[in-house]
Amino acid sequence: MSLEYSITYKAENTYEESVLEAYWQFLIIPEENDSQQFISIDFNNSLNAKTEFSINGYGFKTIRVHPKSEFKHIAFEANFKLIKKEINPFDFEPEADVLKSFQKLQELDFKVDHNTFLKTTDYTRLPEESKNLFIFDTTQSIFENLQSLNNFIHHYIKFNTEATDVFTKLNELLNIRQGVCQDFTHLFCAFARLNGIPARYVSGYLHQDNGYFGDAQMHAWAEAYVPFVGWIGFDVTNDILAGTSHIKIADGKDYKDCSALKGVVYSTGNNETVHSVVVSSQSQQ
Amino acid sequence: MVNLENQIFSSYQRNPVLFDEIFDQEGQVKEVYSKLFELYGGHSISEYVNLNEKAKSSFFNQGITFQVYDKKKTKEKIFPFDLFPRIIPPEEWEIIESGCIQRSKALNLFLWDVYHDKNIIKEGIVPMDLISSSANYLDQMVNLDPPGGIYNHISGTDVIKHSDGQYYVLEDNIRCPSGVSYVICNRTALKRALFGVFDHYKTYSVTNYAENLLDLLETVKPKGVDVPNVVVITPGMYNSAFYEHSYLAKTMGVELVEGRDLFVENDFVYMKTIKGPQKVDVIYRRIDDAFIDPLEFNPDSALGVPGLFAAYKKGNVTLANAPGTGVADDKAIYTYMPEIIKYYLNEEPILNNVKTYHCSRPKELRYVLNNIKNLVIKPVDEAGGYGISIGNRLSDKEIEVVKAEILLSPRKYVAQPIMSLSVHPTYIDETESFEQRHVDLRVFTVLGKDKEFVLKGGLTRVALKRGNLIVNSSQGGGSKDTWVLKT
Repeated sequence: MSLEYSITYKAENTYEESVLEAYWQFLIIPEENDSQQFISIDFNNSLNAKTEFSINGYGFKTIRVHPKSEFKHIAFEANFKLIKKEINPFDFEPEADVLKSFQKLQELDFKVDHNTFLKTTDYTRLPEESKNLFIFDTTQSIFENLQSLNNFIHHYIKFNTEATDVFTKLNELLNIRQGVCQDFTHLFCAFARLNGIPARYVSGYLHQDNGYFGDAQMHAWAEAYVPFVGWIGFDVTNDILAGTSHIKIADGKDYKDCSALKGVVYSTGNNETVHSVVVSSQSQQ
Repeated sequence: MVNLENQIFSSYQRNPVLFDEIFDQEGQVKEVYSKLFELYGGHSISEYVNLNEKAKSSFFNQGITFQVYDKKKTKEKIFPFDLFPRIIPPEEWEIIESGCIQRSKALNLFLWDVYHDKNIIKEGIVPMDLISSSANYLDQMVNLDPPGGIYNHISGTDVIKHSDGQYYVLEDNIRCPSGVSYVICNRTALKRALFGVFDHYKTYSVTNYAENLLDLLETVKPKGVDVPNVVVITPGMYNSAFYEHSYLAKTMGVELVEGRDLFVENDFVYMKTIKGPQKVDVIYRRIDDAFIDPLEFNPDSALGVPGLFAAYKKGNVTLANAPGTGVADDKAIYTYMPEIIKYYLNEEPILNNVKTYHCSRPKELRYVLNNIKNLVIKPVDEAGGYGISIGNRLSDKEIEVVKAEILLSPRKYVAQPIMSLSVHPTYIDETESFEQRHVDLRVFTVLGKDKEFVLKGGLTRVALKRGNLIVNSSQGGGSKDTWVLKT
């Protein structure tokens, strides 16, 4: 069985002074992969500025907009329709030999091949005093450890949309212990990488019908690479594995590689941006 | 025998410890310089000063200046120029040229490897830190195939001659090496002032640089392009090397552009012209990686072109040099150059590397601590000459401090023998006479697809302060015309 999703992404930018020139790059198109089959994209903007489809530096699909006249207000709307296969996130062969899995993490080839997602970035740098907050148990499998980590962070950090912003780093997060999906995900990646497990930040959409936490914007979760198994998605904010409700857009080292909207805008004065995302679904046989 | 009646050299003092490019150990003028020595010797100091002034004004007239930033005002200055040229005999040049090609090729293969299979790291020859902690390693370049397979199209290799008479490489510059315009302008200035001296030597021309550069840039054009449209992109007229950017564009016969002159549409790059958009295929970029595309790298960059990297990733435009080359001109990578050359080319290095001791290795650490007086201690992660200690200039107390620092974090330090740069007679304004000054040589190598070119000449930089070993233009350095002789 699979689900047909309909996603509406809206953004509205308002500027105090006229904008003379601007470029925007949206990283909002669902990725095509084994479980996501893509149906259609419909993208509009209120100025009717030309829209181009391209890729970013990591090969994920982008939409670029470059208006050719002066303006103070622009609205964007994207509609995506796609088929998501029903996923059972537990449907994999568990690690047969725990010791072998941990040994794999120590191999030079493994470290080199997964170097990008083992790196510490500004968003995933743990303060020295916090490195012992979560300790891996080597008698348990890596998957089980990651599940425990998922559960630990879910309870250690309280979901609060007012506490942090897109610039919040881990030292601040660990002080206030409140944040949103982005913060939960960064913390998860940090502990996974600290223990030699490749972990990447995933941006996407969450179907919230099941009462999951997120907000009316984009969602973020983590994917960790379990030796002999592969990449597994962990939605830390909800203490679950990523499944049928999770529609992936892109992945990267941290939020910076995945931000939904990047812009180069030549204007003075203040500006305001409002985003909204609506995800709806219907079953398909 | 030094001819002491030779007027302009009458007060020349030769320090026998230093390797003099003109005089041998006995004080005899070397064969290759004898004619030049005779020709210049015919002049008095005051005549020489007049000629030197004439040459200097030739630089102002050509507009070859750089800006010196002061607290109060900016000054237009010329790079101090010395009329007495440096000569490199054919047999020595042969070593330099083949050595520079060898290094450039090895670095190119190294860059391909670290952005693809990373075999040199997996085999433990170069440590993983290089890709995991170097700020110059660009993840966006992973598995990207640059057109023609070339990363470091243009290299500036800094070479010195040590007191043993052998050439050593100090640095490989493969980001945006500058200085080549001075090589050509030095030649022009010298020809204007002293045309006659060229009659006595068969010297290679240096004015063919631009045509060769263009030729080689055309070999790395994107797939499907017939005759590529090449441009030079500059950060703008306030950049200290702006003269060079405009010079190269002019002599290659291509457009000089700024970021705002270009735009990207459907992943192709276009130049705005009065006749409408014109597609651009190859960009010789003189803008640093971080600034080339604000949508991909530094979002605050007003110098770059939004969408440029996507066009590059799709293979629709060539960037020379490729983004991410900085990972290979790191100080830490320099120390592995002999291994890198052997690994990729299965050859022995032609040019010497300065021997480097890694304090992280216990045996080498012991050597460093015992021989600190004869070594230069460098932190591996600092740039711009910061944190360098020169052993023979330290007091006993300072040595103890440095030793303690090394022992505290041995991984942070490397050590090298103190290199003694060769000296060349150089006219010094203050004393109105020729004095020995340390020199180095920047060699320019251009790498294309199955083709390469080394400019037969180079930028001889002179440390104008007596005893100073740092030959940098921002440290009061000058330059000399450099002659490579034909056989």
